Amino acid sequence: NHCLRVWVVLLGLHVTISHEVTNDVTHEGDKDDVRSEDVKFQVLGRAVVPGVRTHDWISSARVLLDGDKHVGFLRSDGGFSVSDVPSGSYVLDISSPTYRFQPVRVDISSTGKIRARVLNYIKTSEVIQLPYPLQMRYAGPHSYFIQRETWGWSDFFMNPMVYMMVLPLLIIVLLPKVINPSDPEMQREVEQSMNMLNPNTELPDVSELMTKFFSPPKSQKKPGGGTRVPKGGGPGQKGGGPRRR
Amino acid sequence: AWLGVRLAISVSLLFTASAVFEDQVGKFDWRQQFIGKVRFALFDTHSQASKKLLVATDKNVFASLNSRTGDLFWRHLDKTGPEGHLDSLLMYGQDAVVVVGNGRLLRSWETTVGGLKWETVLDTGSFKAAALVGVQDLVKYVAVLKKTAISLHDLSSGGQIWVENLPDSDTVQYQTIYSEGNGLVFVLGLVPNSHVVIVEYKIEDGEIMNKKSIQAAWMSSLESSCAVISSGILLCVDQITQSLYTLPLQSVEQKEMKQIHLQTLDLEVASGFQPVLTSTQPNPAQPPLAEFFLQLNPDHHILLQLKDGLIAPLRDFNPSNLVAFATTGEKTVAAVMSPKNETACSINLFSADTGRRHLDTTIIYHLDPNVGKPNKLYVHAFLKKDDSVGYRVMVQSEDHTLTFLQQPGRVVWMREEALADVVTMEMVDLPLTGTQAELEGEFGKKAVVTDGLLPMVLKRLSSQFILLQAWLAHLWKLFYDARKPRSSVKNDEVTIENLSRDEFNLQKMMVMVTASGKLFGIDSKSGAILWRHYLENIQPNSGFKLMVQRSTAHFPHPPQCTLLIKDKDIGLASLHVFNPIFGKKSHSSVPALPRPILQTLLLPIIDQDYAKVLLLIDDQYKVTAFPSTKNILQQLQDTASSIYFYLVDSSQGKLSGFRLRKDLSTELIWEVVIPTEVQKIVAVKGKRGNEHVHSQGRVMGDRSVLYKYLNPNLLAVVTESTDTHQERSFVGIFLIDGVTGRIVHEAVQRKARGPVHFVHSENWVVYVYWNSKFRRNEFSVLELFEGAELYNSTVFSSLDRPRPPQVLQQSYIFPAGISTLEATLTEKGITSRHLLVGLPSGSILSLPKLFLDPRRPEVVSEQTREENLIPYAPEMPIRTEWFINYNQTVSRVRGIHTAPSGLESTCLVVAYGLDIYQTRVFPSKQFDVLKDDYDYVLISSVLFGLFFATMISKRLAEVKLLNRAWR
Repeated sequence: NHCLRVWVVLLGLHVTISHEVTNDVTHEGDKDDVRSEDVKFQVLGRAVVPGVRTHDWISSARVLLDGDKHVGFLRSDGGFSVSDVPSGSYVLDISSPTYRFQPVRVDISSTGKIRARVLNYIKTSEVIQLPYPLQMRYAGPHSYFIQRETWGWSDFFMNPMVYMMVLPLLIIVLLPKVINPSDPEMQREVEQSMNMLNPNTELPDVSELMTKFFSPPKSQKKPGGGTRVPKGGGPGQKGGGPRRR
Repeated sequence: AWLGVRLAISVSLLFTASAVFEDQVGKFDWRQQFIGKVRFALFDTHSQASKKLLVATDKNVFASLNSRTGDLFWRHLDKTGPEGHLDSLLMYGQDAVVVVGNGRLLRSWETTVGGLKWETVLDTGSFKAAALVGVQDLVKYVAVLKKTAISLHDLSSGGQIWVENLPDSDTVQYQTIYSEGNGLVFVLGLVPNSHVVIVEYKIEDGEIMNKKSIQAAWMSSLESSCAVISSGILLCVDQITQSLYTLPLQSVEQKEMKQIHLQTLDLEVASGFQPVLTSTQPNPAQPPLAEFFLQLNPDHHILLQLKDGLIAPLRDFNPSNLVAFATTGEKTVAAVMSPKNETACSINLFSADTGRRHLDTTIIYHLDPNVGKPNKLYVHAFLKKDDSVGYRVMVQSEDHTLTFLQQPGRVVWMREEALADVVTMEMVDLPLTGTQAELEGEFGKKAVVTDGLLPMVLKRLSSQFILLQAWLAHLWKLFYDARKPRSSVKNDEVTIENLSRDEFNLQKMMVMVTASGKLFGIDSKSGAILWRHYLENIQPNSGFKLMVQRSTAHFPHPPQCTLLIKDKDIGLASLHVFNPIFGKKSHSSVPALPRPILQTLLLPIIDQDYAKVLLLIDDQYKVTAFPSTKNILQQLQDTASSIYFYLVDSSQGKLSGFRLRKDLSTELIWEVVIPTEVQKIVAVKGKRGNEHVHSQGRVMGDRSVLYKYLNPNLLAVVTESTDTHQERSFVGIFLIDGVTGRIVHEAVQRKARGPVHFVHSENWVVYVYWNSKFRRNEFSVLELFEGAELYNSTVFSSLDRPRPPQVLQQSYIFPAGISTLEATLTEKGITSRHLLVGLPSGSILSLPKLFLDPRRPEVVSEQTREENLIPYAPEMPIRTEWFINYNQTVSRVRGIHTAPSGLESTCLVVAYGLDIYQTRVFPSKQFDVLKDDYDYVLISSVLFGLFFATMISKRLAEVKLLNRAWR
């Protein structure tokens, strides 16, 4: 007896059960076309929006089976029934302009057995069973709108471009005040650090290379640089600073 | 990872492409909700203050209207077709009971909330009648009569109390139920031209208490000619014997109906007219009144009373069109509508028991030639403070219009229910100004011929002067409006007089054609109905085709629309030519069309009046041109050899192409037969005439160009298999050149079935079908390319195309149902295209065409990334942000009309079905205008700030220079 119970539990957990059901479904599918029109069934379920009175939303909601092939309406307790449904496989959805529910696939066998499972359009034969009578899962309100991009001071300050602009400016303004450039010790230190930054003196400096490349006629160099400064405005000054140093 | 990020960025950019911002709600979009042609309407008389009006319509809609405003409280849509047909509507207190689907379902609704109370499935059998049944002044049950059985249900729970088979139901036609609160239900049946059968059932257990048959050889129908009045007396009227017949239902001894000759009452029924009896039973738990109306001919009613077994006339209403009873409290009144003069009817109230007229109760109903004749009257009676009876009426007209009136004739509201069934529509540009439109007369066709040069110049000058005046007035108005507070400007109404095109041509005239034959002109900006025109004598199943022959651009010629009305049964057609801005019928002579019309063709050939020529091809392949002036015929002769057209005969599966000859006869060029045993042609679609394609090709990742195959003559033909077995059914698509008949491409989708929705545009066809194997909707896209080089880049000719196009195809899963499909359209075709998908839930999804691109790669490479192709994913995403109509759902959307506006970025969209929704979409965002939220304050403050900063710094620099100079 004990052994049997364990086996049942195992079966309940195991996937094999769903395999069996899968076969059953394809079997039903074959029968789809010969389904007798006079045998019709009723699909039952319940849909609740937590925190909202049913009175406020049921008048604009409908229960749709496969588009609007079959239609059901909601009662004031959130329950619904879709009557007169022939056997087959359907997608049941609750259409409401405000609230969203997860659609469910409902299979009705030719004998009237009804089963609900998770809707999967890609693996259509996969079976993850859901309780029946249906409990429609509320998936939150519809979000129809996107937020406008609003401009605020925080956006301005959080912008990396602004940091890139402000920090060098601070350095230019504050650095000469913090360190005395005429102090010989300091000069040596700066030189050292410059050497550390540029350890390979053999390698030609990129900026030098560029100036050489662009400035065979020496007279044209100045206006070229001149045009660049007003274009850049503030950043131009920033660029000019280090070079001067 | 970088690729992922880039993709995420490009996809997220896409996601925002057509979304709505919350502050845009109602700014340029509107929705109008309709219900359809009313079949049953009941006023809530439960309490005096109630505003509810319950209606059930032929569109299977059950709704509650606010009787003070005409707005909807709530509305429920049942299944379409006969399965959702609303057979009967009964109301008691707060509950309304509806019988649905030929007596299949019985539903009870809580009318205040709009929620379902209970639903019961009834046995099969065709529905005959339903009635509320009362016991001792309390209505507790509802009885439903079917062809073979009667059942009784509890009103509060829907539970079936009993169901009984009707005796001899194979010979007797049971038609009505009657009860008066005495514990019995009577079922009345008839064997035509033989006898009447009356069966009495006991309410408690359904036991047959009594059954009798009464000889009535003259009677052919119970429903139309009989009524029960005054404590269970069956009253019938017969036209042939010119008599009334009475029979007490419960009497045991009377074996024959008592005949009363109408002659004795000095009455006579018009020959050939089926007389109608109208009685009233204010409370289902009590017997009906002894007073009733008898209609003797279409506009003659008489109020009669049955007293002590004798019938006496109370009041004769001659002439009178419509009558109705209404009850409030203990008082029952009768409202009678009678013609007053040519343009108006008057409605008066009479007390039912005496026939005396109530004083000061006249309502004048103005007959509008564009509304149609009134054909039903619904009366809402109420008690005034001084205990007299007041009333309001709802008049239903032939064209389904509902007009709600109150004394002395004020129209409280009006619902144009014809708009619930829009068949086709067009959007027409508005004229530049109203004044220009008035000038039309001066520049008529005749004026051009008769007047000389000088008067013409003068006329031109004067018209220019008027235009200048109008412009100045417009400027003045702008200036004047700018000074007024904003709220007062907004609510000035749009009328035909102040209609004018706006600077971006965003406001247009929507010309809508409805199934009932009523035409509407609606302002696209506000949704206001600017004109309506009712075409009488339209067969109910007519086909309509609307064409714009002359747009507004050819001032001073008025714009011109032509509507082809085609009788579906016999195929005969007629033309209605009108001005789409004013709705007035044009005076131009319309050709007579004696033979059925198979095809119409609107050619770009124009006459002196700038009207495009319309060719009508009849069933003998003869062509009629409209307009058919000499000039036009000459032009047609010159170009006849390059005019081709096609005909589709889906019953024989035949597509045939014809060429026009110089004498306006035709010759057969090609014929394609698709065997009807295997598949049937479902739909054929060409491309839209007003479509522009901006780019000839697509730039690939390696900088080469893939040229599109832009064949303007291409037809997309969709077929469905005749075998509907899910393993063998298929959907086929043929791309056929309309000039040569060459099949350019052919594709078959196995294990698929319809309904197929498809869009044919540019170089692509997108179609949707139902995959019956996996039970899901699938999208498939076909794109045609010429290849890396164009064969003839200057002009496309179907006759000279040596190479077949390259065809690419891809399919996707669409995780929802589909009601309709359409593509956006813009002025120059630069803006990227979106597909507008109408979903059964009523939402309209704007799906970027980028997702339906057969070149979407399965494996991402550098080149595909360069091209911005989204990697292939089998399932199409649906995001609620893409719903262009947010929560303004369009129920049973049947069609989406797209039209370009003056702005390249903007496409105007009208979705119609049971509701009408108008909006604008921006598939590539609004790139050519400033955004709504453009921050004028910020930009101007920055500008001013910079300006002052330069001024100050200049001044400071000057001071500094001066100081330095002094040093």
